[in-house]
Amino acid sequence: MQEGDSQAAPQQAPPPVAPMPPTPSGPVIVIDPAHGGTDTGARGENGVAEKDVVLNMARAVREQLAREGYRVLMTRNDDSNPSYDERAAIPNAYRDAIFVSLHVSSTGTPGTVRAYYDQLASPIPPAVTPAAAGAKAASPVPSGLTVWEEAQRPYIDASHRLADLIQSDLLQSFAGSSPASMGVPVRALRSVTAPAVAIEISSVSGWTPDQLAAASGPLASAIAHGVTELRQGISAGTK
Amino acid sequence: MPRNLKIILGLLALAVIVGLISLRSLHRRMQRMAASRAAEEQARHAVLAPPISTPTDVTVKAKIFWAAGPDRIAPVEVEMPLSADPVERSRQLLQALITNPPTAGQRTLPEDTTLSSFYILPDGTAVADFSDAISSEMPSGILSEEMAVNSIARTLESNVPGLHRLKILIRGQEAETLAGNVDLTGFFDLNSPAAPAAIRSAPPATAAAPRPAH
Repeated sequence: MQEGDSQAAPQQAPPPVAPMPPTPSGPVIVIDPAHGGTDTGARGENGVAEKDVVLNMARAVREQLAREGYRVLMTRNDDSNPSYDERAAIPNAYRDAIFVSLHVSSTGTPGTVRAYYDQLASPIPPAVTPAAAGAKAASPVPSGLTVWEEAQRPYIDASHRLADLIQSDLLQSFAGSSPASMGVPVRALRSVTAPAVAIEISSVSGWTPDQLAAASGPLASAIAHGVTELRQGISAGTK
Repeated sequence: MPRNLKIILGLLALAVIVGLISLRSLHRRMQRMAASRAAEEQARHAVLAPPISTPTDVTVKAKIFWAAGPDRIAPVEVEMPLSADPVERSRQLLQALITNPPTAGQRTLPEDTTLSSFYILPDGTAVADFSDAISSEMPSGILSEEMAVNSIARTLESNVPGLHRLKILIRGQEAETLAGNVDLTGFFDLNSPAAPAAIRSAPPATAAAPRPAH
């Protein structure tokens, strides 16, 4: 786990009114570079691996968000491959967090991007549950406890909203992308107890590493705008 | 014209003729190799996944969902014999989905994938058990994996009545993900009001994949 804001460059030869970096505020944004280690993720024809591209992208996104005053953490900052639950444990340790998993696909129209939120089914009706072979939801859960497999469920509406906000922002920079986010059962999002989205850029073969690296700027802006608007929406709703 | 020049020109003309002949034969040889590779592929599929026919087969127009571009799937009407038995019918459909995409670009599942077994539980849960190739040869990515799962779910949903949920196994075991992204630990809803409507048309506001229940 790496904290971005603590690594801000010290100010050199300060002019009389040097701009101070903004004090970190708001939610902790957890950036998750997908895959890692022996899990390379998507592989391009030129040997480019998704795990490396998303790590570089995540570092650049972290720096930009930290400059804008956000507190940013990463689920990995090397070629390791934490488990899904280890990754989820980072946002889950904070009362106010946002989880963003970064991906690059093998397929799709090069230069397009899509934000995803987790999509869970409605709970299995009790009449069906016991009969289903090995169905996991058979045992009742004491109130106040969260089923680990369904940790994301209470946050799906917020995640959906955040994914839509990010997607509409990304549409400005990535022409030809879908206008809407999409609900997909993404494993990386399932155990997160916070608004959580995955962003996937197409593709590891269709774009050069330089083009992929350049995508981190618009990505960081879209994440920052999405988080800000989501929080404004939430605070307006609670007033 | 000097004699030497005539000889050189003659040799050059001869070289061009020989080159053209060899090029043609090379082209033929390449065509033969491609044909034999296709035949080998067909033979391999015939061994691994022989055609399924049952006494109750009736030729109908089935809707099989293949890729319709880089980021969406759409139904293709295929005339094929389908069994009245829902398990056999599902196996026939999934075999067609794997082996008969109209073009290579429309493929949603790796060509070496085989359906190891398929059964339906009394509550309408369909269990499809695929070979390892569905995971090991699947291009990694949320998009490609979502299209793969959706093509299976929508094909079953559109042609086999009475199915409510789908569980995907790999080599008889529950897998955490298909190829590193899409969660396979849950079930995917079939015939739910939200899922089919969202995927069949271009996403209006928000598209939805088949949803897993845990």
